Amino acid sequence: MESVVSLTSVSRRYPHGVRALRDVSLDVPAGQFVAVMGATGSGKSTLLHCAAGLDRPTGGRVRLVGQDIARMREARRTRLRRDRAGFVFQAYNLLSELTVRQNVALPARLGGPRARTVDEVLTQVGLAGLGDRPVGELSGGQRQRVAVARALVTAPAVIFADEPTGALDPTTGDRILTLLRQAVDRDRVTVLMVTHDPVAAAWSDRLVLLRDGAVADDRPTPDAATIADRLRGVSAVAA
Amino acid sequence: MIRQALRRNPWAFLGPAATQTLAATLVTTGLCLVASFDGAPLDPGRRAALTATGIADLPVVFLVSSIYLSLLIVGVTMGTAIADQAGDLALVRTIGATPGRVRRAIAAQAALVALPATAAGLPLGLLAGYAWLHGLVEHGIVPAEVGFRMHGGTVPIAFAVTVGTSLLGALVAAVRPSRLRPAVALTEAAVPRRRTGAVRTPVGLLLVAGGIALSAVLSGRDAKTADEAGFFVMLAMCVGVGLLGPVLLRVAAPLARLAGTAGGLAADAVVARARSLSGALVPLTLAVGFAAFTITMGTTTEHVTGVAGPAADRWLEYSGTGAYTAFAAVAAVNTLVTATQARRRDLAVLRLAGGTRGRTLAVVICEALVVTGTALVAGAVVALTTLLPLLHTALGTWRPWLPASWLVGGVVVTAALVGTGMVLPAALSLRRAPIEVIG
Repeated sequence: MESVVSLTSVSRRYPHGVRALRDVSLDVPAGQFVAVMGATGSGKSTLLHCAAGLDRPTGGRVRLVGQDIARMREARRTRLRRDRAGFVFQAYNLLSELTVRQNVALPARLGGPRARTVDEVLTQVGLAGLGDRPVGELSGGQRQRVAVARALVTAPAVIFADEPTGALDPTTGDRILTLLRQAVDRDRVTVLMVTHDPVAAAWSDRLVLLRDGAVADDRPTPDAATIADRLRGVSAVAA
Repeated sequence: MIRQALRRNPWAFLGPAATQTLAATLVTTGLCLVASFDGAPLDPGRRAALTATGIADLPVVFLVSSIYLSLLIVGVTMGTAIADQAGDLALVRTIGATPGRVRRAIAAQAALVALPATAAGLPLGLLAGYAWLHGLVEHGIVPAEVGFRMHGGTVPIAFAVTVGTSLLGALVAAVRPSRLRPAVALTEAAVPRRRTGAVRTPVGLLLVAGGIALSAVLSGRDAKTADEAGFFVMLAMCVGVGLLGPVLLRVAAPLARLAGTAGGLAADAVVARARSLSGALVPLTLAVGFAAFTITMGTTTEHVTGVAGPAADRWLEYSGTGAYTAFAAVAAVNTLVTATQARRRDLAVLRLAGGTRGRTLAVVICEALVVTGTALVAGAVVALTTLLPLLHTALGTWRPWLPASWLVGGVVVTAALVGTGMVLPAALSLRRAPIEVIG
């Protein structure tokens, strides 16, 4: 079966010779929840950006739902992202002056698929009744749920999450992870999540550890304590 | 520390600085003309003749209007600049700055911006004054004896006007951020106030209604009364429309929905940002209003009477209006650039949510069209309300006449100004990858 996200020998070299990714290969099948961890500067955000088509690798091949996006033109890549991928970022990245409903409706209004109704996804994330509130008036946890709703509304094949719980307290963070887990289990959405929090990573099915821009470890996710140990292992060597 | 917070974004003060430079230029020009006319070695007879033409009053009128416009527009741009700093100001309140300190720091910053801006405007004003006077003499409007003189008080008066107006504008704008409790300040910074003020809208409506009523009354009087009181119609309409700016944008925004999904997003954005956009709408409306009034007055008179007014008069009118229009246009473009800069992150969010570069730019273009259309309509209403009583009493017609070329030109120039302030900076920021803008 075709992988939803597939990276083959991907490298990303920045000007001044910094190599953020070296020869990374990763295949993520449909309905898998993958956590990517590593020390600061290990290349985990770059990996996510390249996989999602937000950044262009300098070498290798990236396929998103079967389409080669590494050499795809910007506009086509954006449309593919809009139609098949959802995003959740640490900084929410919502339009705080607009209402919850307007934010969730953005992908559709930018020409994306109207796969699910705004009310349906707002109910799913527990924000039913808050649709007409300006996002700027919401708490951090509520904002992140708006972001999850916006990611879910197109019924995407994959959700890319970059430190989705980084700005939240553990309880609020758990609610976000529950939503992502639900999306995987119920809707067979693929999730690729970058995090530095072992507790957050423990919600995943598969743990990928990066060290110096290369995959150091790729196994089924153990419990949080073991994750923390393994993370210390790759971080110590990197430092 | 507060100063550092304010300085972190030096571009924010580009708008006030540019308008202050222009204010200093116009005030200097006005003062030099006043001095040149007063100091001209004319015998009593020729002076009386000059006075009789009314041209001798022109520099004074020009000067007074320049100061009035400086107050209005420097105040508006300074207000926008301070509002943009609200986040940083909230931060310094959080780490222990008292409201008084924040106000003082803002005042100091405003004055500090005014100094170099004024210094730049002074020589420009001398040049403009010289060129203007030269033009007047060349056209035979004033006798050749009227030589160029610099007013003794130019430097202190110019500084007093710019520093004074920017202090006033800054302090008015600083009241809100300085008074907020720090905890509220941080969240307030994230969400600009949505309410348009319970006082602002009714007062604006009252002024516009008053302006229209006065215009109707004047239409029934003689030409002289209409001419003399016409200024008050314009004043009431300008201030009224200025106060109604956010409301006008909110009313106009839904029209953008006709332009499809990009238009719908633009309409939402204009409604949400009506306050900051109205900082640009007001000067733009004034520019359109002034220019439309002066030009249509001339063209209609020529059309009805069949003769062009004396070249001298028209030259005077157009150069004066030109100066004001330039003033307002610079202020509008600056405010728009500032507002668009502050939106770079929003545009990146649109692209992350699936907007292609083209579609995201289309949203900005629709927003620009809403602003352009609102300014054109509001400016036309201001001009017509002022113009109709004058036309009716002096020429006996209700129909203003404007050649199509002027009309098209006006629309194109207005659209170009808004495009320069909104679409150009947005297009430049869209060249960067959205993830770079956000990260």
